[in-house]
Amino acid sequence: MNKPIRMALTKGRLEKDTVGLLEKLGFDCTAVREKGRKLILPVPDANLEVVLAKANDVITYVEHGVCDMGVVGKDTIMEMKGKFYELVDLGFGKCKFALATKKGYDFYSGYGIKTIATKYPNVARSFFEKKGMDTEIIKIEGSVELAPLLELADGIVDIVETGTTLKENGLEVIEDVAPISARLIANTVSLKMRHAEIDRLITLIEENL
Amino acid sequence: MKNYDLITPEGTKDLLFGECIVRRNIESSLMGLFRSRGYSETITPGLEFYDVFNLNSRYFPQENLYKLTDSKGRLLVMRPDNTMPIARIVATRLRDADLPLKLCYAQAVYTTEPSLKGRSDEVVQTGIELIGSQLKMADLEVISTAVDSLSSFGMEFSLELGHIGIFKELVGKLEASDKDKEAIRKLIENKNFPALNDLLDSFGGSPVITALKKLPALFGGEEVFEKAEELMPDENIKHILDELREVYADASELCGGDGSITVDLGLVNKTDYYTGLIIKGYLQGHGEEVLSGGRYDRLISEFGYDVPAIGFAVNINAVAKLMEKSDVLPAEPKADVIVYAEEGCEVAALKAARELREQGLIVENALFDDLESVREYAMEKKIAKVVVIDGESKEVNI
Repeated sequence: MNKPIRMALTKGRLEKDTVGLLEKLGFDCTAVREKGRKLILPVPDANLEVVLAKANDVITYVEHGVCDMGVVGKDTIMEMKGKFYELVDLGFGKCKFALATKKGYDFYSGYGIKTIATKYPNVARSFFEKKGMDTEIIKIEGSVELAPLLELADGIVDIVETGTTLKENGLEVIEDVAPISARLIANTVSLKMRHAEIDRLITLIEENL
Repeated sequence: MKNYDLITPEGTKDLLFGECIVRRNIESSLMGLFRSRGYSETITPGLEFYDVFNLNSRYFPQENLYKLTDSKGRLLVMRPDNTMPIARIVATRLRDADLPLKLCYAQAVYTTEPSLKGRSDEVVQTGIELIGSQLKMADLEVISTAVDSLSSFGMEFSLELGHIGIFKELVGKLEASDKDKEAIRKLIENKNFPALNDLLDSFGGSPVITALKKLPALFGGEEVFEKAEELMPDENIKHILDELREVYADASELCGGDGSITVDLGLVNKTDYYTGLIIKGYLQGHGEEVLSGGRYDRLISEFGYDVPAIGFAVNINAVAKLMEKSDVLPAEPKADVIVYAEEGCEVAALKAARELREQGLIVENALFDDLESVREYAMEKKIAKVVVIDGESKEVNI
């Protein structure tokens, strides 16, 4: 038996969805379900080894080739970029990046430079660059919705799922930036050196989406 | 002001002892291999004018270059690539030289890499450039040198072939803006099938579009050519594919058909000046290619001399890292003899040590003022013999 293929999963909801998918493919994920505090877990009948990591780290591990594959949100891919293959849209973990402002605020009026608060400065920067618009981008770590309410920013670029948080804080989406869902990524060398095994897994996954 | 006098810049590192031996061994075995095939070494300056790397085609984004100015205020860069300076030499000092020219090099390149990603800003490359031949034999010569280089590391490797012409021909037939073409290229490079399909669907349906959609999936072995054959919309592209297939078949035969030669028609990197064949080499255990090259028939003409060329470079940092991971670091050769001089006999001792070295021994001069310390040092360093020079020489075995 070859050494197992290492697959990094984004801890949390994407991890649960991926484990659900693997089980649907008929693989026994008991070890992952009963993981305790372990971070590397076997899925023996798929010859897989699941690694649990934060979203950004999934990309880092796959880029360096210490994990062969990974499951990570498009949001993280857009913000981090990097060199890897983005093979499959897994279809779960769906949400979107959107530009939101205080309700009724006319964002595109006037000639003043607008200030944007966001957890995703690269996503925000490239969105406004494409529009040819100079903006001032401020990185916020916690609840980005606070920034326009405290009048630090004119708008925010953030992940929106239901829009409830926005609504309860008097904000509204004025423009969608990009749709988001979970992606299956692979290291560029692993895909070549372990082509047959990875290809088999991907075909199985695509058939069961 | 903060002082940085005790550390090296991010992306650089000091190498010590065994690490140096590993590095030098790889370099010298590759350079030896290149010389044994008739390649001659060139050394180019670490500093070059920015203009050398800022040709019309702009292969190097300026934000990735280390820049400085000379005493006249002209913009210089730390050499970010080894092929461009060699193209410059070929177009100038070697312009009248007989072709083909076979050149090799072993020197570092410098680029600014994103911080905190574990990447190096200083990477040593050894490589070859074969200038002035468009023959299939030139492609095979370079491929077989690449195979010999990779197999010399004693690790599981794979050498992948591609051809940028297939993508260029296909995308040239598409009525799309340059921006869309670049987006298509990028999606193919990243094998981003979902987004590639979405983008190409917006151009309707045609054999060209079907072929572009499939391009990133066309990688593997011989079977790739069967699949690609049906997809290629015209004779021109089929011809390129046939050429690649021949080279692939010959290279596979050279390697005994063990599957170490593969093909990927989706190799379409942006910064490449490549015009035809592309080669990439992988070693098991390293997450990126360790060897990279291809045919660049139009690069040297940007320096005013129209001559075809093909070459590759090996990333020595990556190979050394893998070797250090898999093996114990080699120890430095230990001394055979240490020579201790009694007071007043220093010159005699230095001469005695020189004589011993001439016999082929590794000999240290003792740097202590009493024999007891010399003995302790010799024990510690596992030096078998102490020679004491005190007017009449005597040997002490440890």
